Amino acid sequence: MTAVTANAPRPGRPARLAPPTQGRGEALLLLGPAALYLIAFSIYPLVTSLVRSFQDYNTTKNTWRWIGFRNYEDLFTSSEFWTVVKNTLILTTVGVAIQVVVGTALALFFNQNLRGSAIVRGILILPMLLTPIVVGLMWRALLNPEWGLLNWVAVELGFGYVGWLSDSHVALWTLVLVDSWQWTPFVFVVVYARLQALPQEVFEAGSVDGASWFQRTRMLTLPLLMPAIVFAAIFRGIDAFRTFDLVFGLTNGGPVQSTSTLSFEGFQNGFEFQRYGYASAVSYVMVIAAAIGITFLLRVVRVRRVDVAT
Amino acid sequence: MSGRVVGRVISYVVLVLIGLAGIAPFVYLLILSFKSRIDVLTVPPDLHFDWSTIQENYRTVIHDQHYVTFVVNSIIVTGVSTLIALGLGVPAAYAFSRLRFRGADTWASTILSFRFMPPIAVAIPIFLMIRSLGLVDSQFGLILPYVAFSLPLVIWIMIGFFDEIPREIDESAMVDGLTRPLVLLRVLLPLARPGMLVAATFGVIFVWNEFLVGLYIVNSTDRETIPIAASSLLTVESPIDWNLAATVGILTVIPILIFSMVVQRYIVRGITAGAVR
Repeated sequence: MTAVTANAPRPGRPARLAPPTQGRGEALLLLGPAALYLIAFSIYPLVTSLVRSFQDYNTTKNTWRWIGFRNYEDLFTSSEFWTVVKNTLILTTVGVAIQVVVGTALALFFNQNLRGSAIVRGILILPMLLTPIVVGLMWRALLNPEWGLLNWVAVELGFGYVGWLSDSHVALWTLVLVDSWQWTPFVFVVVYARLQALPQEVFEAGSVDGASWFQRTRMLTLPLLMPAIVFAAIFRGIDAFRTFDLVFGLTNGGPVQSTSTLSFEGFQNGFEFQRYGYASAVSYVMVIAAAIGITFLLRVVRVRRVDVAT
Repeated sequence: MSGRVVGRVISYVVLVLIGLAGIAPFVYLLILSFKSRIDVLTVPPDLHFDWSTIQENYRTVIHDQHYVTFVVNSIIVTGVSTLIALGLGVPAAYAFSRLRFRGADTWASTILSFRFMPPIAVAIPIFLMIRSLGLVDSQFGLILPYVAFSLPLVIWIMIGFFDEIPREIDESAMVDGLTRPLVLLRVLLPLARPGMLVAATFGVIFVWNEFLVGLYIVNSTDRETIPIAASSLLTVESPIDWNLAATVGILTVIPILIFSMVVQRYIVRGITAGAVR
């Protein structure tokens, strides 16, 4: 996986004035502890994971046996795996697309600076901070087949009863819905901040020229917002690709794997069924896919030094 | 003129609806936590509350289900992990921001790419590692991997903040005879405080909510953190007393809600750092 920073030259850094060896001791002192820590608790496990993906774990004897590509063969020939791939891709594409569109629309809406909108903005930040297991709980209550509020509303409005979590054709879309409830605010916050930072004169010039709100938004505002939108979409995409906790909290992958994701598949096989080798293969497919995806995305869009945290 | 008034009214209606959509699930859970087991089944929930039922629910969760223990465990694990991550990550970020050394870019890419790594890819080997170290069911067993997960985040955020501080400040301090580590400690740390608060905020939120790795590392009640305890109390399959489940949910998110209100500006700053510049 490529780092976002690696390609973009950082401003304010003189081009190699000092020979590379100078400051080596200092670098070692400052960087060494963090580097050692990550070698022990990130790089080493990641390498182990790769090795394990070619092995089979014997639960009773606690031993590992080399089986070559068998885990991967099992994986690629199992229909369950492809269902899970499809689910993950729907979450990462359709889900993120919804969140980007709605989040951007929200940012434009809040740009009117209505009185009281600061409170609503405060509310919108909350969903993405909530403990995922509780997000799942909230929505399982809202969507409960017997007494959940949403089915009552659906029936009152004449849509009839919906098997939000029990119908295998609907459950994945319910997952997309809840994921969007939780993460649309992320796109909103990023895009809105960019919108607030734009110089207001640009818009004033636009309205003097007699352009309508719609024209100004399409020709002026959206292009200026594009870097923020792309940034939000990439980060959201990466996170959606590894969705685990919402599945765990909301559906447990069911009914019949219809909402399972790659992360969840790895988790279930690894921790619940103790098929560590197979689970490692699942997670390595993810690592490789993510690496390819991110490298490709960064080639196409060239994000410059982005830093973000969620 | 009246067209504009109508537009305003519509805007405010939309604003209220957005607010409701954001907060309704939370309020619904709160209402459920105020109900008895039977009254949960009434749709739509009536807004008649009984103080003794509320007390009963919260007392049951707080006393009988060891909520206080979980909170204490969560605070210890979150606090220690975040402090270690800052202690390791801040100097590293400083080195990346200021020093030119061989392999710098490779190291930066490697560390930062962990920001993108699916946790499940390391969760299994880390679990096996903790198990062979004999640290299963200890707070240390949770802290070790949590530091590893927060560290890339801290480094990433801090590089951005150090880059904003002019290099001339370091250079003049070094002319005065300070070494790099001392420059960092005495001169830059006070300047980088907002950055450290942003990094700490995100470290805290991440660790406070984490349960994928922790779930199998810790399995006894007196070691569980809130989300780990909640996830075993609230599993999808087990039949649950919804009023108590809702109470657990409310008590789980209240600390993080209070925390996020206090640090709201750091949250927005952290999310948008780099996107807006």
